[in-house]
Amino acid sequence: MSYTLRGRLETRLAAALVPLLVAAALSPVLHKWWPLELVGLMVGIGLVLDAGLYHRLLPYQPGWLALPQGLLELGLTLAAARALELNAPLRPALALFAGAWLLLQLLAHAGLPLLRLSWPDDGGELGLAGTALRAAAPVALLAVLGIAWAVEPPTVRLATGEHRGPLVLDHAQTLVGEPGAVVRGGIVITADDVTVRNVTVLGGRHGIEVQNAESVELENVVVEGAELDGIHVRRSQVEIRDCSIRSLPGAFTQGIDISFAFDLGPSLVERCTVVGGLEGIVTHFAHALIRDNRVRNTELRAITMTEMSMGRIEDNDVGAAVGVGIFCGDYSHCEIDGNSVADVAPDLSSGDRQRQGVAILSHFGAEAELRGNEIVRSPGGIAASWDATIEHE
Amino acid sequence: MTPRVAIVGSGLGGLVVYATLRHGGLLAPGEIAVFGDHRHPAAAWRPRAEAIRQRLMRSESDGHCSPTSFPGLAAREALRRRDLAPLVLSVCDRYRPTVPDFLRHVDELRERSGWDESLVPGRVERVRAVDGGFEVDGHGPFRHVVLAPGHPGLARPPHLERDPRAVHAYEPHEYAASVAVVGAGMAAATEWLNALAAGAEVVSVRRREPARRPLNVARHLFTKRGLAAFHAAPRAGRAALLRGFGEPSFPPGRSWDAPVEQAVREGRFRVEPEPNGVAQVICATGFKRGFGHDALLARLVAEHGLDTEGRWIVLADDSTVPALTDGTRTLSLAGVPAQWAFPAADTLVGMKVAARHFRRRVESCPTR
Repeated sequence: MSYTLRGRLETRLAAALVPLLVAAALSPVLHKWWPLELVGLMVGIGLVLDAGLYHRLLPYQPGWLALPQGLLELGLTLAAARALELNAPLRPALALFAGAWLLLQLLAHAGLPLLRLSWPDDGGELGLAGTALRAAAPVALLAVLGIAWAVEPPTVRLATGEHRGPLVLDHAQTLVGEPGAVVRGGIVITADDVTVRNVTVLGGRHGIEVQNAESVELENVVVEGAELDGIHVRRSQVEIRDCSIRSLPGAFTQGIDISFAFDLGPSLVERCTVVGGLEGIVTHFAHALIRDNRVRNTELRAITMTEMSMGRIEDNDVGAAVGVGIFCGDYSHCEIDGNSVADVAPDLSSGDRQRQGVAILSHFGAEAELRGNEIVRSPGGIAASWDATIEHE
Repeated sequence: MTPRVAIVGSGLGGLVVYATLRHGGLLAPGEIAVFGDHRHPAAAWRPRAEAIRQRLMRSESDGHCSPTSFPGLAAREALRRRDLAPLVLSVCDRYRPTVPDFLRHVDELRERSGWDESLVPGRVERVRAVDGGFEVDGHGPFRHVVLAPGHPGLARPPHLERDPRAVHAYEPHEYAASVAVVGAGMAAATEWLNALAAGAEVVSVRRREPARRPLNVARHLFTKRGLAAFHAAPRAGRAALLRGFGEPSFPPGRSWDAPVEQAVREGRFRVEPEPNGVAQVICATGFKRGFGHDALLARLVAEHGLDTEGRWIVLADDSTVPALTDGTRTLSLAGVPAQWAFPAADTLVGMKVAARHFRRRVESCPTR
């Protein structure tokens, strides 16, 4: 194919229509702007490359060149997305990009030649439809990006140093801590679309408390010395990544507790380090994915999924727990995959036979599916009790 | 239903135009008259391909007669064979359809398009502009006419015309023990390999070294972008460019070179300025060039005083004859005589370009 400049731009814009519509549908469903912003970036980068690079370098373009072009555009799009802090999750973003690229190829090789007989002869130009596209596209692109930017939650910078809490976040916003930013006395989140990033929280009844909120993201937060839970989530949907929680020793402290959210979307706890406390990570009546975390020195259970919760516990590193390592209880459904559980010590003082160093325990009607877990120096091994089941795959 | 559109020429160019007009139901078979002396669109092309034992087309996946470029021959072959290899070759510009595949496609299109319903047998001697369009040998008038007469005849070097050893490459022939192949294009290269494979000693008689390129003309000249400079050139420059595009060429590749290199080592292939004492002379010298060799076109030019430049009829960029085309009627050329508008007009892709322009004229005419 030998595109004219106009043909390149019009073909690019025609192929962007469907991804744009998909992104426009996804954004309100996900309560996220990244799909629209990502498609805007993809199209923008593609148009710049078309005008500035491809048109000059490629008077004729063999079909195979679409592959390296796609990889170049993918790399630039991901870099731009990172630089602009779109916070697009990698896999869905890749899927969106791949879908858009595939659609462009299908359109260029099949769709447009079928729709418009002279499309190849005209160097990819689309006639009147193309003119309309070129006129509408910049307006649409600017409108999408402008709206996205305008309604994007404001970003609040938390200055270096100590701030007195509790800090109440009751509207959508992104709170970003400068290096050394500390909140003493806790953070309370009661609004949707709140992101807290790079903040250390000391003390407080709960370190970070999330109540009746969705699309809350906690990234790279450190919580130490909370009286009860490090992160306390009720009736909410959260994504917690790269956190560090150090709980006080005591009867009721928990690292992360996500509860009473079964009717909401699944929550995520990923790449966190949780040390100490009665329980490390626990869910009650919630959907959750607990992945790639490191949990140490818990006194009751390291990871708990209970009270009709449902979810996956995968690739976690559990160690030095007392009593139970991973617990699936009370009619919960748990997929427990690829975890490493080591050195779960018997709780001799409890006298409870089910707490004698059990690495993985399915309890009271729960159903646990196990795959590829590694268990070391945990005398209780894997156990099921009170009508609970364990299925090994 | 009275035909309003006439296609003069029932070869591959005629079929391309016909299929393009039939696409999407723009015109019914009864609205088109195809004038020609062969019922089968490949009747003129097939014997030539057979004569040079051609197995693969020079064209690529787009070298077909269907109105839309997709699905091309690669996609069709991939579907038929349940094999992705043709598609992979096609995206790498390495796909060459076989002659049987191409002919199968022509048969299917002929059948599917209703070609035979529109056919008016007979060679057209005269096309004349009249009120309301054009008269074609007394038929009509037709508002829109496209002339796709094909090549005007085989070209032979004058000094070989009476030589009893001489045969044209596009005429049926076998190979003698020593063969001189005159020419240096695709047909000549094919004949070198054929004669060598038949055990002959081959002398290549040529005035200049052939260019090596995949297609008849450089790839960018098939496209709007590449044509911009050609269309912008002054008339004399344009004619010079066309003469340059006509230089002999054949595709690069080991399949062409290896047998010749082997024969050179064995002393069975050499290049000489004259055939000298060989037993057989094969004239791989292509076709006569220029409208003057075509009785129909020569008469058209003479009777209507059409603008010409050298051996070409001067056309608008959309392959129409400017002096005989306006808002109510169209006279257009397709195939080799349309080179003034499109240098590769004699290729299947070139025929489609002319056909699409013609279709656009027919579509936009309120009284079609």
